[in-house]
Amino acid sequence: MSDASGTALANVFREEWPLLIGAAMRIVGDLQTAEDVVQETVLTALDRWPLQGVPDRPGAWLMTACRNRARNVVRDSGRVRRAIASMPLSAAEPHPGDADPASGSGMIGDDRLRLIALCCHPALTADAQVALTLRMVCGLTTEEIARGCHLPTTAVAQRIVRAKRVLRECDAAFVTDEPDVRARLSAILDVIYLVFNEGYLAAAGEALTRGDLAFEAYRLACLVTELIASEPEPCALRALIAFQLSRWATRTSEEGAILTLDQQDRTKWNQELIADGARALNRARAGEAGPLLLQAELAACHSTAASFDATDWHAIVAIYDRLLQVQDTPVVAMNRAVAVAMRDGPGNALPLLDRLAKDPALAASHRVWAVRADLHRRLGDRAAATADYERALKLVANQAERQYLETALRGMAERFPEQDNKRKAETDVAR
Amino acid sequence: MSEFLLLGARQPGSAETSPRLAANDISALTTWHQHLRRWGLLRAFALPQDSASGLRVCLVIRASGQLAASRLAEEWRRRSGYEVSVVPLCDASQGTGEGHRDRP
Repeated sequence: MSDASGTALANVFREEWPLLIGAAMRIVGDLQTAEDVVQETVLTALDRWPLQGVPDRPGAWLMTACRNRARNVVRDSGRVRRAIASMPLSAAEPHPGDADPASGSGMIGDDRLRLIALCCHPALTADAQVALTLRMVCGLTTEEIARGCHLPTTAVAQRIVRAKRVLRECDAAFVTDEPDVRARLSAILDVIYLVFNEGYLAAAGEALTRGDLAFEAYRLACLVTELIASEPEPCALRALIAFQLSRWATRTSEEGAILTLDQQDRTKWNQELIADGARALNRARAGEAGPLLLQAELAACHSTAASFDATDWHAIVAIYDRLLQVQDTPVVAMNRAVAVAMRDGPGNALPLLDRLAKDPALAASHRVWAVRADLHRRLGDRAAATADYERALKLVANQAERQYLETALRGMAERFPEQDNKRKAETDVAR
Repeated sequence: MSEFLLLGARQPGSAETSPRLAANDISALTTWHQHLRRWGLLRAFALPQDSASGLRVCLVIRASGQLAASRLAEEWRRRSGYEVSVVPLCDASQGTGEGHRDRP
């Protein structure tokens, strides 16, 4: 089997996975059993395909095998009557909504959407929603999720087991109509955003990024925008993720060091993702200017600027002003201060940062100190910059960011050798 | 050459897989079976209709002896994740692999 056919097969499995879980769920009515059925179906393919050959329509083969097994499980466990009574729709036959997910019939048109909505059940914590979505919808193994989230495998396994138990205890079933899904839309988008953030900027660990999770989040965002085509907010999230991912390849050097926007090679930015982001952003603009849309607008300003010098900082500050009106958080205020520094110079942003550094929510993070250090550096205040860099280094957990800060700190000595000598002399005198 | 029956079993719920892992495993296993066929070592295979007992796949292979069959079994186990048993079908009693010949 060639690499290409292996990749094609991986895509088939990936696309089919949530559909299989959904189909099994509709028959067996329980997430754990549904997962076992799909697991067994995939293992059967693993037994048979290498010997008999990959079927012409592997997706159809998997679906048929999955449904048959699910029915056998229901029959064998003697739960036929209960299962039939709880089944809102025919398990095997397509229902009217299948043909057109956005038909507006009031019924959810796709098992994958039902599955995402189930994984984002309000009875679950955000962490559990993320883990369950990655397992059930994206098909990642517990170990892969643990690696992606930098957690022990046992912790993730417990999270998933507990989440399934909670769903079973509260008798959670597939929601069947769009209003129910719309009620969970906010949680669904939050989960996708969390997955993306976890993948895009690792909170801890060696590498700055964990690509698989970030791209899984993009795939989920695409899926949701296709399944709920009439809603603008998922489009905003898709745009935001697409713009951010377009810079993926250029965010770090070959050695793994962070490259800031002004250092990145814009010719290597992914133009397909930028185009997809622009399309999604246009669709999102039909809705209200919520936090996701405004963040997508910000990302678009960066992704579509011809060069760093051509970045429209006036527009960016204006968008941050609007964002602060709908999402008044210290992090947004800090990012706005960075934009103000770019537009009006570091001296004008420093008072804003001084105020923010007193905010307990920000003071515990390395970012505010790193940003203030950079402003001091640009203003030529070496002592203040050094103090802030050192403070940031005490708090940073990500290895790539630590390296960036250390490099910046070392750069101070090269840039201001006279101050270094003066301080050395003062130290000598003091001794 | 002698014939051996390799029994590949998997306990229910013993392994967690993902789309990517499954695709990788199928690719690797397909390649391995192709090599067996090309070398004339795979005589037949059988896939049980019901895998409730844990038995998933049976292969009839040709090997120069028990040792060679065990080596193939170990490779199959490594690639598939099965628990593999080796059953001599005919005339493997003498075999350590070296200099063993088929009898008529």
